[in-house]
Parts: sequence; C-alpha cells; structure tokens
Amino acid sequence: MSTFLISVGVGLSTAAILALSAVAFTLEYAVSRIANFAHGEFLTIGAYAAYSGQAIFHQNVAAAALTAAVAGMLAGLALNAGVIEQFRGRSAITVLIATLGVALIVQNVLIMVYGAANVSYSFAQGGLHHIGPFLLTTSGIEVIFSALAVAGLIYVLLQYTRFGKAVRAVSQDRALAQVSGIPAQRVVMGTWALAGAISGFAGFVLADTIGTFGPQLGFSFLLLTITAAVAGGIGRPYATLGGALIVGLVIQIAGTYTSSAYQLVYAFLLLVVLMLFRPNGVFVRRSSTAVRV
Amino acid sequence: MYWVSIVTEAGIFAILALGLDVIWGWAGDFDLMFYGYLALGSYMTFVLTIGKPTPPVEYIIGGHLPVLVSMVVAIAVVVAFAAIIGAIALRNLREIYFAVTTLGAVSALYLIVENYTPLFDGYNGVYGLINPGQTALNLTYNGYRILLLVVVLLLLALAYLLVQRLSRSPFGRMLRSVREDERAAAAYGRNVFFSKYRAYLFGAAFAGLAGGLFAIFVSAFNPSAWTPQELLVIYAAILVGGRGNPRGVILGVFVIYIGLIELTRFLPSPASRPDFGPALRQVLIGLMIILMLRFRPQGFFPERPGVDPGPRPAGRRPWRLRVPAMAASSDTAAASPATTPASPEAASARQAADEGGAG
Repeated sequence: MSTFLISVGVGLSTAAILALSAVAFTLEYAVSRIANFAHGEFLTIGAYAAYSGQAIFHQNVAAAALTAAVAGMLAGLALNAGVIEQFRGRSAITVLIATLGVALIVQNVLIMVYGAANVSYSFAQGGLHHIGPFLLTTSGIEVIFSALAVAGLIYVLLQYTRFGKAVRAVSQDRALAQVSGIPAQRVVMGTWALAGAISGFAGFVLADTIGTFGPQLGFSFLLLTITAAVAGGIGRPYATLGGALIVGLVIQIAGTYTSSAYQLVYAFLLLVVLMLFRPNGVFVRRSSTAVRV
Repeated sequence: MYWVSIVTEAGIFAILALGLDVIWGWAGDFDLMFYGYLALGSYMTFVLTIGKPTPPVEYIIGGHLPVLVSMVVAIAVVVAFAAIIGAIALRNLREIYFAVTTLGAVSALYLIVENYTPLFDGYNGVYGLINPGQTALNLTYNGYRILLLVVVLLLLALAYLLVQRLSRSPFGRMLRSVREDERAAAAYGRNVFFSKYRAYLFGAAFAGLAGGLFAIFVSAFNPSAWTPQELLVIYAAILVGGRGNPRGVILGVFVIYIGLIELTRFLPSPASRPDFGPALRQVLIGLMIILMLRFRPQGFFPERPGVDPGPRPAGRRPWRLRVPAMAASSDTAAASPATTPASPEAASARQAADEGGAG
C-alpha cells in the first residue's frame, strides 16, 4: 500500500508538469486549430535557457524559472509568426509536418550549440517530506504548488480578463471574432506567447525533476503531453488539467509496478484506448468515435 | 567503393520511400510508424538468419534460414504487425489523430525494443554478416558489394514497375479518391477503411523488404539506427521529388541522400563537436521540409492526374494527359473524355497535387 501511495505522490508531480505542458498545447490548438509537434521544443528551449542562465544566477531558482519562461515565450512568438501564420488556411496535417520540421531543426541546433551529451542543473532538490500519506521532495512540492498557481492564473486570465474573453472568442471562430472587432491576429500572438511561457517554465521544472536532460527532452515528453490533452479533450484548457492528472497517475502507478522505462508504452496504450472510445475526451458525456478534423 | 555504398543505401531508401508514398502520397495518411517497419524487417531478417545468440548477447528465435526465406518471413511479420497497427489507427482516426497514434506506436515499439533485451538485445542491437553466395560465387568483399548494389537496383526497378502499374490501376485511383474526399468516395460505394488498410499493408511490405536489404547492407542494427529523425529524411525526399509520383519519389531520394551527404561531407566538423556535421544535415532537412511545404507542396515532379482515357477511339493516336497537375484543376474536366462517366476517382485525382493532396 505504501508503494502505491508513494507512486501516487510522484504521479502528482508528474501530473503537475504534464498539466502545464498539456494546457499550453491545448491553448495552441484552440486558437490555431493545429497540433504543434514542435511543442516539446518549447520545453527543451526553456530548460536549456535556464541551464545557460544558471551560471549567472547561481542558486536562484526563481530567476532560472523566469529565464525559462521568457525563452519559451520568445520561442512561441517566433514559431507562430515564422511558421504557423505562414501556413494559415492549409490543412492541419500540413502544419503538423511543418512543425515536425521545426522540431528537427531546434533539436539539432541545440546539439550544435550544447552538444548531444546530457547536461544537468545543480539546484538542490531538498529533503524528503511526509505529507499526509505521500512522500515528496521539497522541489516536488514546489512543482505541484507552482503548477496549481499557474493553472489558477490561466483560469483567471481566460475567465475574467478582456484578453481571455478574446481568446475564447477566437478559439470559437477566428473569422467571426475578427469581424466583431477583436484583433484576432494579436490575440493569437498573445496566446502563443502565453503557451510558450507556460511550456518554457514546464521545461525547466521537468528538467529539474528528471535531473539530467538532452536535446530530446521535450520531444520525448510530447507523446505524454498529447495523451493528456486528448484525455481532457483537445482544445479545452480546463478539462486538460483533469486529463493530465489521469495520465500522470496512470503512467506513474503502472510504471512503479513494472519498470519506469515503459511509462511511454502505457501512455500509448492509454492513448489508443482514448482514441478508440473517447476521442473527444473523458469529460464529454457522449463522444462520437468518428474523428475527422 | 565509396560510391557503391552510397548508391546502394540510396537504392534501399528509394524502395522504402516508394512504400511510404503509397501510404502518404496516395492514401493521404501521414504515418510516423513507418520507419519502425523497416526496423522490424531488419531485426527479423537478422534473427532468422544469423543463428543462435552467444551469451551475453540475447535475442529471439536465432534461426539459421537461407536469407531469402528469412526476408520473406520478415516481410510477413512486418505486414502482420502493420495489420494490427493499421486496424487500430485507420478505422476512425484521420489526419492529426492518425499521426499522433502512429507516433505513439513507434515510441512504444522503440522503448520495448530498447529496454527488453530478450527481444533484440536491447540497446546493443543485433549484428552478423549476411553474405549469401559470396563463397559460392567466389567473390571478393568489393565484388560482393557491387553484386549487392546490382541486386538492390534490380529490386528497386521491380518495385518501381509494380508501383507504377498500381498507380494507374483502379486501386490507385480509388486510393486517391478516398484521399481527396472520403465521403464522396464512400457515397460511390468505396470501402474507405479497407482501401486505406490495403494501402497501409502494401506500403509496410516495402518497408519490410527495405529492412531486410538494410540488414544485409550494414550487417548490424540497433535502436540508434532508427530514431524518428530518419523517417523525416524520407518525407523530405518525397516532398522534394513529388508526392504521389513514383518517379519523382525515387529521384527525390537519390538527390537528397547523395546531394546532402556530398554537400555536408566537406563541412568543417570541430574535433570537440563530432555531432556538428550530422546535426547541420538534419537542420537542412528540417528547413527543406518547411520550405517545400510552404512554397511547393506538390514537389518538383508533381503527381500527374491519373485519368484513364478509356477505350481509345480507333485510328487516333493514343494519348495521355500530360497537363501538369497544378494547372489541371479545372480545364482537364472539359478535356477528359466522357468515356469514364461519373467516376469519382477521375474527378478527384485531378486535384491531387493542388495542395500536395494535403488540403
């Protein structure tokens, strides 16, 4: 039983990182109607930016996190302006292949700059704490709380600000939002900046949790991110949080009882089950099985 | 010998690309699993041919079959595996959902092969020299490499003839009609799932064959040989050559492989950064994918409208539509003979390369 609870605890911090990444992915989908396969690279860029910055900031975790978020934001803006907007009106699959090309470029530019070998941060992980039935490290707790804080921030932003209202309008129908006087292009830009910042931060947190990371960090996290987004229903930010919780717990618990190397295998099985039976997310009462985007 | 190696490798990848083009170019399914089929074909050819493993090396089967038999069995295994993946991924999932599912499948397969050593010896991979007939033919190593090149090129020619024939057959046109508009094709009585499924298995068989040839060519195979990046090179080659046009695809592969390798061979690669050159090559491939998709999605040799002119009127020169697909969107409707009435394939294949079939 205690093994189970510990894995639930670790699953919670996995789920927290996953939630950040998946919400960003789903926001990108919501405004641009594309699946961004270069999404993982936002995380990688954030992680490497913090890695470069830690020489300057030393042990200042907050500054490193901020660096990661800013780098992710710039990457989000660049991707949207440089690729996504250039492909407006093209089919979703065309844009997907293009973003896959972007992912290839980013990964290999990082190899050229930092080398293919793994790097690691030197931030202290902190001691172990018993919290209720769970066993967590200090940074694990920080991860969970920062994810909750960011999730709360996103909720307030989307629900109570003019920008959030505009984002929701654009995600419903970009053309209609445009003729209603909403500067759709600026809103889409803003959303990509937001998604990039969230992902950059998530990348920093992920890298810090794993310990060592390489240029493949984000891309190998992409499948988990997409699974979480599909579990919640792609394009629905709040449901995605729930989806991330489900995916994070399932892979962590299943991984604990077999081997953690197979986590992605469970993610894939979960993804297949979701795709076949609930392609529009587990929180929709009845979902049509015929998915044609 | 250097050139023999490069051309052999390009030939193997051209066979692979022809198979992928059936799935992506004709049927329109963006499959990320595809390179996994080459890997599976390669692994299976090894474990069926090179005999029992000596500890600590471990892998399944360890047969001692003649290499031709192993390759046929390997292809059968690959097709069977593709039958499972295809049954899951093709039934209801399309476009990005299909891509995501196949990405998941290849990631899962990769992790299992890498971590579960009893299967194919995990990260170390399997190796063994496969050289059927070298002693019988009394060939030197170099002579054997040339023989391999000839065999690969012959197989490529056969594969091309098969694909070319199929491309203009009712099956090829049905696939294109399904790609362009599933509902319309279904309304005309085409079984959408089954036609896509057959294309998928057909393409996977090519990947199995290429995998077997690759096993003979490199005589070692491990997980680092089939990272997802390798597949993007094939997609880039198809994009450059012309999606849906077998001749363009083969040309694309040769240009990309030989051109890129030759171009980047002489780049300075600092001793401290051995990864620099290969990484730069990947960056170029990524750029090429994006630029091709943006500015010339139909490739440099676009898919030609496969309109069957029908029975030829007596006494007239047999003719084919040679209109480039780009310009063919509306005017071929008038030009195409009415001998194939209400054929949805004919109607939709015209628009084939408008968006590279992607839109």
